[in-house]
Amino acid sequence: MKNIFVLLLLLPVIYLRAQGPPITTGTPVMLGLAGSGIRTFGKFISKENASIYVHPFGIPYNISPKFQVGGIVPFKWITPKGSETSGGLADMVLFAKYQLYKRDGKAKTFRILGQVKQGIPTGGTASSPKIGSGHFQTYAGIVVGKISSKVGLYADVGYNFIPGPAADHFIYNFSVSVPLLPQIYPQKQLNVLLECNGNYIISPEIHTIFISPGLQFIPGRRILFETSVQLPVLQQNVLSNQTNYTFLLGTRFLFN
Amino acid sequence: MKWLIAIFIFHISVALEAQTPTEPERVYIKIEVKGLACPYCAYGMEKDLSKLAGVEHVDIELKEGLAFLSVPAAQKPTREQIEAVIVDGGFTPGEIVFRSTPFKRE
Repeated sequence: MKNIFVLLLLLPVIYLRAQGPPITTGTPVMLGLAGSGIRTFGKFISKENASIYVHPFGIPYNISPKFQVGGIVPFKWITPKGSETSGGLADMVLFAKYQLYKRDGKAKTFRILGQVKQGIPTGGTASSPKIGSGHFQTYAGIVVGKISSKVGLYADVGYNFIPGPAADHFIYNFSVSVPLLPQIYPQKQLNVLLECNGNYIISPEIHTIFISPGLQFIPGRRILFETSVQLPVLQQNVLSNQTNYTFLLGTRFLFN
Repeated sequence: MKWLIAIFIFHISVALEAQTPTEPERVYIKIEVKGLACPYCAYGMEKDLSKLAGVEHVDIELKEGLAFLSVPAAQKPTREQIEAVIVDGGFTPGEIVFRSTPFKRE
């Protein structure tokens, strides 16, 4: 397993061409899904005390080249160990992104976005286990990306406020993305990604970090398939709530 | 008599030539699109540039950040119109070159 990580870390050096959008990190390019697309994926989470399947549908809409709004409608099924599955609509999210800075060059760009997300407690809390959080949640953060014909580097960092007794948390994600096929458009593209996903809960102090290798296949102009595995490298939460791994399989589709 | 036949044939040939449809003159345009660095961005730009009047096909060279298109000369867009499409697409316009012959491509 260590050899695979070393190889993935070296890939950006070996393949210095272009890349696709990151899978588990935000992108500062608000173009691909500009008002006429959808992103969806299935995410299976294997935890010590339960198995969880989450399936969100994200629909963005560009109000202007600099301003995007959208919504995420997630469905969630939880199967606690030794118990029956409970599932349904989870907490919906509305989001807005605004481009704060852009510097474009020949086949490269550097962009910074500000983004806010508002979680709405639409998920059920009457059943056990609960599907929703039961709280309105507000996230504020920035997304940074440096995308060139050589490599794509992405990062998003932000703070999630939860009113009431629930703990706020700090979220950060990083991504490196490189292609495995020559850079021609339109063409079949295969991109490899290495991402890092962190979540730091302030009180009680719980820090989790995942390393997430991923693959993206773009068979044509308007559709993209992607898969990613998240493996824990740091988990300070209680053993029963720890994650063994997550597996994501998804698609992004642009309408004409 | 021979002269009359020759003049008649000449007039017929001129009349036929005038009626033969000819390919309308085209303008070929090379556009530098700064910031074009991902395939989904290229799709958006291709779609937006295709909406310019007279454009039937747009070629994108992702590696060089270039777009190529051609239009009938009568529908030639202005530089400002092309720049507006690029800005509205979220990119930065660079050099725009108009020519009466196709661009040589690598």
